[in-house]
Amino acid sequence: MSGIASILNTDLLVATIRLSTPITLAAIGATICERSGIVNIAMEGIMIIGAFFAAVAALFTGNPWIGLLAGVVAGGIFSLIHAVATITFHLDHVVSGAVMNILSFGIVRYLMVMIFGHPGTTDAIPVGLKAYQFAIPGLSKIPVLGPVFFNQTPIVYMSFVLVVLTLIFLKKTKTGLHLRAAGEHPLALETIGVSVYKMRYLGVFVSGLLSGLAGAYLSIENSVSFTEGMANGRGFIALAAMISGGWTAIGSFVAALFFGFADAFQVRMQVFKVLNIPSEIFIIFPYVATVLAVAGLVKKSRPPKADGVDFMIEKEGA
Amino acid sequence: MSKVTKITVVMLVISMVFAGLVFANGGSEAAPAAEKSKVIIGMATDVGGLGDKSFNDGSYQGLLDAKADFGIDARVVESKQQTDYVPNLSGLAEDGAQVVFAVGFLMGDALIEAAENHPDTSFAGIDIFVDPSKAPKNVEGLLFKEQESGYVAGVVAGLLTKQYASASDRLNDDNVVGMVLGMDIPPVERYQAGFYAGVKSVNPDCKVLSVVTGTFTDQAKGKEAALAMIEQGADIIFQIAGLTGLGAINAANEAGVAAIGVDVDQSAVAPDAVITSAVKGITRAVYLTIKADLEGTFEGGGNKVFGINEDTTGISSFNKWDSIVPGDVKAAVQKAIDDLKSGKVVAPASRKEAGYEG
Repeated sequence: MSGIASILNTDLLVATIRLSTPITLAAIGATICERSGIVNIAMEGIMIIGAFFAAVAALFTGNPWIGLLAGVVAGGIFSLIHAVATITFHLDHVVSGAVMNILSFGIVRYLMVMIFGHPGTTDAIPVGLKAYQFAIPGLSKIPVLGPVFFNQTPIVYMSFVLVVLTLIFLKKTKTGLHLRAAGEHPLALETIGVSVYKMRYLGVFVSGLLSGLAGAYLSIENSVSFTEGMANGRGFIALAAMISGGWTAIGSFVAALFFGFADAFQVRMQVFKVLNIPSEIFIIFPYVATVLAVAGLVKKSRPPKADGVDFMIEKEGA
Repeated sequence: MSKVTKITVVMLVISMVFAGLVFANGGSEAAPAAEKSKVIIGMATDVGGLGDKSFNDGSYQGLLDAKADFGIDARVVESKQQTDYVPNLSGLAEDGAQVVFAVGFLMGDALIEAAENHPDTSFAGIDIFVDPSKAPKNVEGLLFKEQESGYVAGVVAGLLTKQYASASDRLNDDNVVGMVLGMDIPPVERYQAGFYAGVKSVNPDCKVLSVVTGTFTDQAKGKEAALAMIEQGADIIFQIAGLTGLGAINAANEAGVAAIGVDVDQSAVAPDAVITSAVKGITRAVYLTIKADLEGTFEGGGNKVFGINEDTTGISSFNKWDSIVPGDVKAAVQKAIDDLKSGKVVAPASRKEAGYEG
């Protein structure tokens, strides 16, 4: 029962997936957003909004699927504030993102008190998405990989599909090409008659939807209630995943898996007391891993050329 | 002013407005037009505010109980932010309050400052340690022997996980129990040490695991911590992690094992899984402090520690598990309570005292 070997089992990998899913979703969203040229540090706030609305909708309708939809839509709508601020009004992207994070906290606290009469945590939803966990026949029987990838809950499956879709969208579709151009050389894109604004709005909006989905995962799939602060920095870890993943869908996914693994691993290190050291050391482990990954890989990964660069169309007669 | 700056300002103002609305909504329940004859007792809550169904509400209930019994004029002010602590506490004193309560660990420094400025008013801080060598004579810290609650809960867990594991399908024969901790702060450690000692007192071979999550608000981390221990055969998970612990209880419930709640009766979170909760009687502590002050026996300049003899520590009722928990376990719980009361058993207040390496 002791020793590092006993930690390395299928359960560890299943836990890795559970912990990395919200990071994956927010990170691929951020990838799309930043490839369009808009820096997005607001995933944390969008995730909180998504988690809150998912739980509220699931609570009042009794249907977690409606909750899922509500979380995604709320994330998308909330992200539009960032889009309007940065694209239409040319606000600094980081400033807007920071405000978004603060704003989300205030909105949720306000609505918590209004709807539930108290801050903190909502009542438990009647049915969570965990109830819809299903094994894919055949594939789930594969040793190790089967239970890890093919006996999962709905949003986890969605995250796998969305990684692939993001990859295809960015690499193989015309819109994806235009979106990337908006982040690399917006003027060139505008010259061929494609609106940079539209592409950037699309990028921000999609990242909002995905961060909202990440939030819904936290509140109605992995848990059965919403708690203020439940994102607990995952939006920022997602940012780190995107950077160390080199602004690509697959890279973000792999980096998110790594961060999820680091967290799952430290919990098991504590359970097994492999090393008798203060718990603080274990707790910071995933964050140290994040810092090292970003610091180590950041030289190799290159942001889109026009990422964070404002684009303003010269108005006629102006 | 450039357009960009304007937008920034507008957005920041909007966030401030939202933040403001929150607190306006929460409101102050202070009654300005009080009868002069009544004794005024004031309470300043922490930022969490009333309605948290836990710490702040529990304290407020003590105030209400005292109001019902002694006909005091109860006033409560909610802190909007940490900078409100001192004004709120001082304001209550200036309103003529005889005792002013500060609710929560974080208000410690503010409590001392307010007490120094208002030497004629009594101040009491819940979960606040008052340093007897430095503190003014009109302030008292109200602390709890969480280790006693942990100890009694540990007796329940120690017996159910092995000897009486046949009582429920949620229990197994692995003889492992687990604890999920929030931040590793003194009250949490006291619960942990007591629980460990309680388990070991009835089941010396039991394996007691624990995981520190480092947060009180992250359900996903609480869940992972619980699941990692359940994988190792833990069939009873004791959560000492606030809202993080809701994830731990949820994990136990989903995995078909049992859980023990903390601070207040948490049966409602998952009635099938929660055996009982290790509770601390904040409500009663507030009530007793008011009573002492009215009787002229308020003692400042130090701390009052509430324990099992004041009926302020222990476990909640078994609720849905009442018919499952065997009579022998209930008898053992009673014995543990009696032993703690008589001083025959002293629950350890730290991991070191408990001899627990976790």
